[in-house]
Amino acid sequence: MRTNYRINSGVRFEMLSQDQLQTLFDGVLHVLENIGLEVHHDEARDILKKTGAWVEGNRVRIPQYLVKRSLEMAPRSFTIYARDGNSKHDIHIGPGRAHFGPGPTPPNFTDVETLERRPYVKDDARVVATVVDALPNIDFCESLGTVSDVHPDLAASYEFAEMFPNTSKPIVAWSYGWDDSEDIHKIAVAEAGGQEAFEKRPNYVHYCEPLSPLVSTFEAVDKLIFAARNRVPLIFTPCPLAGGTAPVTAAGIIIQAAAESWMGLTLAQAIQPGLPFFMGGVLSVMDMNAMILSYGAPELSLMMAGATELAHYAGIPLWQTGGCTDSKVLDEQAALEGSISCFFSALSGGDLCHDVGYTESGITGSILQTVMMDEAIGYSRRITRGIEVNEDTLATDAIHNVGPNGHYLYEEHTHRYYKTEFWYPNLCDRHNYEEWEEEGKKPMRDRVIERTRDILSSHKPSAIKPQTQTAIKEVLEAAESRVKNQQ
Amino acid sequence: MSEIYEQLATGILEGNVPKIPELVQKALDDGLKADDILSNGLVVGMNEVGVRFKSGAMFIPEVLKSAQAMHAGQEVLRQLLAESGSAFSGKIVLGTVKGDLHDIGKNLVGMLCEGAGFEVIDLGFNVEPEKFTEAIKNHQPDIVGMSALLTTTMRAMGYTIKAIEEAGLRDKVKVMVGGAPVDSDFAERIGADGYGHNAVSGSELAKKLIGAA
Repeated sequence: MRTNYRINSGVRFEMLSQDQLQTLFDGVLHVLENIGLEVHHDEARDILKKTGAWVEGNRVRIPQYLVKRSLEMAPRSFTIYARDGNSKHDIHIGPGRAHFGPGPTPPNFTDVETLERRPYVKDDARVVATVVDALPNIDFCESLGTVSDVHPDLAASYEFAEMFPNTSKPIVAWSYGWDDSEDIHKIAVAEAGGQEAFEKRPNYVHYCEPLSPLVSTFEAVDKLIFAARNRVPLIFTPCPLAGGTAPVTAAGIIIQAAAESWMGLTLAQAIQPGLPFFMGGVLSVMDMNAMILSYGAPELSLMMAGATELAHYAGIPLWQTGGCTDSKVLDEQAALEGSISCFFSALSGGDLCHDVGYTESGITGSILQTVMMDEAIGYSRRITRGIEVNEDTLATDAIHNVGPNGHYLYEEHTHRYYKTEFWYPNLCDRHNYEEWEEEGKKPMRDRVIERTRDILSSHKPSAIKPQTQTAIKEVLEAAESRVKNQQ
Repeated sequence: MSEIYEQLATGILEGNVPKIPELVQKALDDGLKADDILSNGLVVGMNEVGVRFKSGAMFIPEVLKSAQAMHAGQEVLRQLLAESGSAFSGKIVLGTVKGDLHDIGKNLVGMLCEGAGFEVIDLGFNVEPEKFTEAIKNHQPDIVGMSALLTTTMRAMGYTIKAIEEAGLRDKVKVMVGGAPVDSDFAERIGADGYGHNAVSGSELAKKLIGAA
C-alpha cells in the first residue's frame, strides 16, 4: 500500500487483515510441523532430513524455524528475461506487479479458423506463442494444450520447441519428468549462451505440480530437483479442490495449498539457496453437482486473492489463476467469469496469473479467450493504476481557466494528459449505432476472432539464434530415439 | 408389505446410515426375502438418488451418504445373498491409471456400482497396465473401469488397453473410462467401450455394459 509515493498511488486492496494473515501463516506452520506430507522421493527425503526436517518413513514434517528460514532465503523480487534481449518483454517480479499468461495441458483446442473443438496438435503451440507475443497485456507464454500428434511422452518437449522460436516473452514450461525437463532446458540454455549465462539471465520458468492433499509425488519432486540444480526459477504449486482434495472452507484450502508449496520451497532452498520460487496454484471449488474443478467460480477469485496476500505476507511471489471459464464457447459466460478473475488478480497483485485462455473448466484451450481477456486485463490495469493526486492533477489552474460554462477540449492540461489518463479499447466498441452498423454490426465475439486471425497472419516474432535451431533439432532427435529405445 | 420397501427406499434417499441396517433386519424378521429387500427397497432408493443427482436436486456429498447407507444395508444381506446364489449382477475391476493418484471419482463409481449390485474389485491408484491385466486374469471381471484426473496421465489409459490387447484379453472384458479430462472422442480413439462423464453416469454405463454383455 504505497500511498506515500508522490508519483503513483495505485489502488489499495486488502482482503485479509494482518491478524488474519498471521493466523493463516501459523496454520501453515502447524500443518507442516505436526501433520507433514508424504514425499515419494528417496533422495528428496534425504536432502530434507539433512537440512533439518523430521522424516519417518515417507512422512516428512518440517519444524517452524526451517520453514521460516526457507521463506527468508527465497527472493521476493527477481527478473525473468526475454530470450532476445528485448527489455520490454522482461518480467520483473516484485511488489505491486501483476503479470498474465495462458495455461498448460488442456487436451483440446478451439481451432482459430474453423472454431471447432478438437484435439490439440503441435502447430497450436506455434499459434499460441505467436499471438501471445503480439498481445500488449499478456506477459508470459504457456501452450494451452497437450500435443497429441507426437509420441505421448514427448508432448512437453515438442510444445516447448514450437513455442520458443515464436515468442520472446518468457515461457512457463511443464514436463512429465527428468528427461523432458532436460530437453527443454537444453533449448533454453542454447539461446542464453550456456548454463552460466542462463543462470544470470534465466529465460524460462519451470512448473511442477504436487498432489493434494499433502503428497509430494515422485515426478513433481524429481522435476523440482532438476530445476533447483540448474537454477531454473521454479513454480511448485498444487491444484486442490475445495470440498474434494482440500478443506471446503477458503481458509482451509489456502493453508493446505501453502503447506504443499512450502514443502517444495524447503527442498528447493536446501539444494539451491536463493532460488526464485513461486507458491500458489489453482485453488477453487469442486462443484458438488457437476463434479468439476470450477474455473469460473467466484471462489476462485476469492481463494486466489487470499493466497496472494498470504504469499506476500510470507515474502514470496505467487502463481495466480484467472482469465478462465467453465463456458464451452467464447460467449457472455466466458467474458463474465474471465474478466472478473483477471480483475481480481490485478487487484490483489498476483505475480504471475496463468490460465488466461482456459475454457470448459480447463479441458479446452482457446487463444480466442486469451485475446478477449487481453482487453479485460488492459481494462483492469487502468483501474489498478489508481488515481494520481498532486497539484497538477488537481487541475485547479485548468478549472480556473475554463471557468463556469466553458469546456476543456482546448486546454493544454487536457492535451498533456488525455492519452495517458484514459484507456483506449482495442476490442470494445464505442461507435454510434450507424457507424457500428456500417462496420458490419459485429458483436465483440467477431472482433476477437478477427483480431486473432489478423495477428496470426501479420505478426513476426523475433528469431532465435541459429545455434538454438540446431539445438532444437538435436534435442528432438535424441528424444525420439530415447522413447524408441524405451519401448 | 410395500410399506417397508418404501421406508427402505426413503432411508436410502435420505442417507440414513444408522436406520437402514435396522430396517433391513426388520424386513428379514418379517419374512421378506433378501433379494426382494435389495431390489424393491434399497436399489429403488439408489435409482432415485441417481435421477435426482442428474437433475441437480441432489449433491455429491448427499449421494455419498446414500451410498454409505446402501453399503450398510448390503452388509446385513451379504451372507444371505451369497447363499441364495444371486449375489451380484456383475463384476467390475476399477483403478486409477499409472502416474495418477487421484481416486475420489473412482471411489464414487465403486460405491455406486456396489449399490447397483456389482462386485467391485478396486485396484487403487497409480495402477500399472500389468496390474490391470493380472486382475483380469485373476478375477475374470465383466468390466474394467479406468480413471484419470490429469491431462498428463490420460495416455496411460491407451497404454493399458494396449496391454490388455497384447495379453489376448481384450475380448473378455468391456472397458470403460472416466475422469475430468476424458471425453467420448478420447474414449473412442483409445478403443474403450464407453465413457462416463461423472460417477453416476459411470455406474449407469456399467449397468448398460452388463446388459449388453
